[in-house]
Amino acid sequence: MWKNVLSAFVSVVLLTTFVFVVWVVATHDYRWEAIAPYRNNLLSGWLVTLLISVASLVLSVLVGALFTAGQLSGHRFPAFLCRVYVEVIRGTPLLTQILIGYYLIANAIDWHSSLGVGIVVLSCFSGAYLSEIFRGGIESIPKSQWLSARAIGFTGAQTYRFVVIPQVVRRVLPASAGQFANLVKDSSLLFVISVHEFTMQAREANANSYATFEAYLPLILGYFLLTFPISLLSRHLERRYRYEH
Amino acid sequence: MSIEIRGLTKHYGATRAADGIDLALDDSVKVFALIGPSGGGKSTLLRLLGGLEKPDAGTIRIDGAEVPQDEEALRLWRRKNGFLFQSFNLFPHLTALENIILPLVQVHGWKRDEAHGRAREIVARFGMDAHLEKHPAQLSGGQQQRIALARAMAHEPALLLLDEPTSALDPEMKAEVLDLIEELCQGGQRIILSTHEMGFARGSADAVVFIGAGRVVESGAATALFDQPQSAPVKAFLSKVMKW
Repeated sequence: MWKNVLSAFVSVVLLTTFVFVVWVVATHDYRWEAIAPYRNNLLSGWLVTLLISVASLVLSVLVGALFTAGQLSGHRFPAFLCRVYVEVIRGTPLLTQILIGYYLIANAIDWHSSLGVGIVVLSCFSGAYLSEIFRGGIESIPKSQWLSARAIGFTGAQTYRFVVIPQVVRRVLPASAGQFANLVKDSSLLFVISVHEFTMQAREANANSYATFEAYLPLILGYFLLTFPISLLSRHLERRYRYEH
Repeated sequence: MSIEIRGLTKHYGATRAADGIDLALDDSVKVFALIGPSGGGKSTLLRLLGGLEKPDAGTIRIDGAEVPQDEEALRLWRRKNGFLFQSFNLFPHLTALENIILPLVQVHGWKRDEAHGRAREIVARFGMDAHLEKHPAQLSGGQQQRIALARAMAHEPALLLLDEPTSALDPEMKAEVLDLIEELCQGGQRIILSTHEMGFARGSADAVVFIGAGRVVESGAATALFDQPQSAPVKAFLSKVMKW
């Protein structure tokens, strides 16, 4: 009885809020013509964000795998270094990391591509989170599985390839998908080193046209178009790798 | 099989899982059972025999060949044998069939279709044909153990090592797995097992050893050990477990 009342109440509140928000946003008096001249800039910004997202997604998986391997290597000093890296990267602001990466580190090695540096810094940042997700996944594989693999006569590499990784993939997919969505949105911080990505283009359009909402509203659609497929793909893969029927 | 164990020692921290085990079995023994209280060192001895653990001291010889020390040689030693644990032997992401094929192809270098044929043959022999395409989660505990046993037997191991193969099963499933193990014994398969099934040990094993606190308390022919135990701990243990 109380459960039904509560769920009805929650449904009504959520639905009302949703309708209210949509109504307010939709009935605002927009001046789309003010932003129209900048639509190609917004589109090119979206494409740059797409490029950054795909490139750093791939690279961050490699970075994550590397630091997972380091932490699980069994060698104490490398494991300690990887641990320090993960803690420092996760515990400090991405904005500062981007600034240091571009103006200090990349500058010192004479690398001036803000897009390239941006992709690398984002990958290092996201890779630290991924390595924790991967490590947790590997450590959650029961001892009996490692023992069975050893008893069969598998080498360490075969154990990972045929026994551990296929099971880990399934376990880390949901958390990794969340991290990938964060990665896409975090790429907006690359404006500080003037990468002409999506958010940067919206900022410029706003500065030139004074049409704030008209400049920023497309971001909702644009970022959702990038993050939603990740979510769909993750669900699809989860189903494909399901083995507890 | 002839087994010769000398001064075998393995400690885990303060726990003396093997504390100077000496044992000799001659060639007439085909099925060898380890019995004794839980935590007494049966599993450890079995793992040392199978090359899954390295001893701190001592040697094991099986048919004259010493269980090696270095990791690569140990891996080759493990490949020759088949191993079955109490539970969770199978890989949950693979079907029953794939569980059996994988080691044949990846460890023993069989062609895939050969391995396929062999897996089907052995699974049919074990009465599990209907379950080939199922994942372990869809099988009962007893069915999982039978598939795991099929995997351990598929490459015709020189020695089959069973670590309390029925301890995690309910009575009905225990019986189906024990029937199958008995069949393997009848077929001449050489087996070393640790077990709490005293009836099975007595009926199927040629030799039995009682392990307690990491030491051999008593060993001998199965009938002799069960009918006329010599040492007080074995008498006490048997009178307790046979009471019900």
